[in-house]
Amino acid sequence: MSESVQANAPVLAVDRLSIALPKGGDRPLAVENVSFEIKPNEVVCLVGESGSGKSMIAHAVLQLLPRGVDVVSGAVTVAGQDPSKLDGRGLRNLRGGNAAMIFQEPLSSLNPLKRVGKQIEEMILAHQRPTPSMAEVRERVQTLLTQVGLPNPLLLEKSYPFELSGGQRQRVMIAIAMANRPALLIADEPTTALDVTTQRQILRLIDDLRRERGMGVLLITHDFGVVADVADRVVVLRHGKVVEQGTASEVLRNPQAAYTRELIDAVPKARLADIHDTIVRPEPLLEVVGLQKTFRVKRGWLQPPREVVAAEGISLTLHEGETLAVVGESGSGKSTLGRMIMRLTEPDAGAIRFGGADLRLLRGEALRQARRRLQIVFQDPFASLDPRQKVGDAIARGPMAYGTSRAEAMAQARKLLARVGLSETAADRYPHEFSGGQRQRICIARALALKPRVLIADEAVSALDISVQAQVLALLAELRQEMRLAMIFITHDLRIAAEIADRVIVLQKGRIVEEGTTAEVFTAPRQAYTRDLLDAIPGRDFFDQPGFAAAAGARQTARIDSGIDAV
Amino acid sequence: MTPLGSAAAIGLQAISRIAQLVAVILVIATFNFVLVRAAPGDPAQVMAGQSGASDPKLLDDLRKEYGLDKPYFVQLVSHLGRIVRLDLGYSYRQRRPVVDLILERLPATLLLTVTAFCLALLIGTALGALAGLAAGSVLDTVFTVLSLVLYATPVFWLGLMLVLVFSVTLGWLPPFGYETINVQLSPIAHALDIMKHMIMPVTSLAAIYLAIYARLMRSSIIEVAQQDFIKTARAKGLSGTRIVVGHMLRNALVPVVTVAGMQAGALVGGAVVIETVFAWPGLGRLTFEALLQRDYPVLLGIFLILSIVVIVLNLLTDLVYRLIDPRMTTGAA
Repeated sequence: MSESVQANAPVLAVDRLSIALPKGGDRPLAVENVSFEIKPNEVVCLVGESGSGKSMIAHAVLQLLPRGVDVVSGAVTVAGQDPSKLDGRGLRNLRGGNAAMIFQEPLSSLNPLKRVGKQIEEMILAHQRPTPSMAEVRERVQTLLTQVGLPNPLLLEKSYPFELSGGQRQRVMIAIAMANRPALLIADEPTTALDVTTQRQILRLIDDLRRERGMGVLLITHDFGVVADVADRVVVLRHGKVVEQGTASEVLRNPQAAYTRELIDAVPKARLADIHDTIVRPEPLLEVVGLQKTFRVKRGWLQPPREVVAAEGISLTLHEGETLAVVGESGSGKSTLGRMIMRLTEPDAGAIRFGGADLRLLRGEALRQARRRLQIVFQDPFASLDPRQKVGDAIARGPMAYGTSRAEAMAQARKLLARVGLSETAADRYPHEFSGGQRQRICIARALALKPRVLIADEAVSALDISVQAQVLALLAELRQEMRLAMIFITHDLRIAAEIADRVIVLQKGRIVEEGTTAEVFTAPRQAYTRDLLDAIPGRDFFDQPGFAAAAGARQTARIDSGIDAV
Repeated sequence: MTPLGSAAAIGLQAISRIAQLVAVILVIATFNFVLVRAAPGDPAQVMAGQSGASDPKLLDDLRKEYGLDKPYFVQLVSHLGRIVRLDLGYSYRQRRPVVDLILERLPATLLLTVTAFCLALLIGTALGALAGLAAGSVLDTVFTVLSLVLYATPVFWLGLMLVLVFSVTLGWLPPFGYETINVQLSPIAHALDIMKHMIMPVTSLAAIYLAIYARLMRSSIIEVAQQDFIKTARAKGLSGTRIVVGHMLRNALVPVVTVAGMQAGALVGGAVVIETVFAWPGLGRLTFEALLQRDYPVLLGIFLILSIVVIVLNLLTDLVYRLIDPRMTTGAA
């Protein structure tokens, strides 16, 4: 075989792969007849919604499928080898040797009780033969930590995963994966748990490493923004079947399948032209003045507590029918702000004026009466519904607590369920019978049952698939019109803020760094921090309309614009 | 923060921590005092009854001698005062300092409980780990059933059955006591003799804890095996042994250590029963006797020492926990 042919041989070939689910699953095959290839130096994105089987394919490549889930037909070839035909030793050599994998949640993917350096060393020691000396291994670990852009590698090597930030942890995972110079990197939603700016850095890092090493990358994602930024080729999956595949530019610019078009359209984007200036009444509905909160985190029993500032002099106003987006990275204090307005977290200082009274001064019955006018929808629709309570009860309990009769509250609950797009019979079922998007609709119905005037949505669509996200956002927009609701929409995703908000507040480390109408903030951001956030929106080069603020020092990220690497 | 500043802060923290401990001990001592006095009767009645004379004059004299005629509150204050001066007082009955009595008996109890605790922890976690790793297998089922049986067996009943089988029927082991009396033995033979006496009490005492740790370790291993970082370890190409030793065991031990630390105190409670069954000359027996005689100073002394032992054990658990889990040293979530 000549060298050029060798160089072009795929690092991963998936050929008519089918994977069976255990009996009783929602379909017999998790993955059906899927074929694709990844060449060296190529990024292939597997795109699909949750349950599409994309993760199953990634796990099948390294024989990491959970018990009871088996490959029933088809073949996988990784760097010329079929993993299913390898013996134990051969498979171990392949895993972490020629093919490495990183996962969605970097914190739980690292052993919490082992120093980061040790976890990288282990990867080297398991594969390099002859076994290198400890000095060589240490040096290699230092090099890897530097390569993945981690500051102060000497100190970092001695750290435990919990001492690092989310982005740093994912960099460590990448360092582990890179340790033995794999030909193939499998990245299973590697940035889904990270906020936008970190996501951009991690995607760039993966892309840089790919270029340096000529590595093939299988990137699993549900976000077409990410696809636009990094993919050479795209495989779109639905219900375990390939609906479409091709180069990123073909698929994005000219999608053939209706489903692909739906997914691309569902990516939230600023509709600046659509944004109406809400008629601002002189009297705000909710006014927050100088909110202050510092958390004291207890440390060991001989150490003074550590202080984290979550809010420093936050002031904002909210008018009837208005939607205010609060955006910022994780740790910026945006969720704490929402919780303080609800008085679920007690602020250290400041005032929350609502309905003619300062919420902070209210106690007992007065507070209870004020609270029903402020409702919240949380991020995780799985954790925020009591699994042992029927959906109808969950919705009716609120009004019942305020004196509505049970019959009336239940009738109203059924109506609300219909209003949020579920059937009335949903009232008699339990939360586990519903999907994530449906549960979030239930949570919205529950919040609306009390006829609130202010609805706080704390990352309310962040855990949902993009197409479901679009539906829930549309529902919220309708309800806002219908009920003259004022909404505070807390999100880390600027695309969502741009789509839904009238005004935007940008939070950084507990301070408001920028504030203005959505159009102002997105087209003429005044702060570098805001520009950074805007710049980090995945796929913005592809998805955004002209007139959007060009970030200072923006670097071309969209591979579809820079031309596809010649294969 | 400057090093000096943080050193001062640490010093301050340490002082407040010690002050907390002293306060806890005094509260416990007060509670013990009330508890002991809540039992009907007093030492004077017991003694007068035993001497066959229920003469009111004798009762009054005895009460006056022991200070039992004073108001409860005054007695409590003088009791707490003695504790602060590290004085545990005199036994009414044995007319010896309580400290001497306790120190005499403490080693035998420690020998029994520490041995039982270590064995239960070692064997229990080992069996639990094996069962957890082989979850669903025949081995797992056998272990699970056995640990359930052990868990459900009353401690004293197990002790009695062991005596019945190994002493009465087979005659292999001495039925009670700490050592063979009235014989001269070389130090090694003496140690072996004590060990022989220990087998049955330790087994009875350890059984239930062994079962608890085994069950806990089993479920802990099963849970850890499903964690993402185990998948990472597999994706790294590590061998099964390396995954178990390098990644699973330590993580699985965290909940076991927590429970073991909390139960170390309860073990001493179990020792009272076992020492009675096997006539083991430890604190358990002393407690039992002092209770029957309403020997307040001895009872309060024992309770106090046991409370301190429990507090120390909790501190040790804390330290071990920190050794196993680095997240605890900085108190991160």
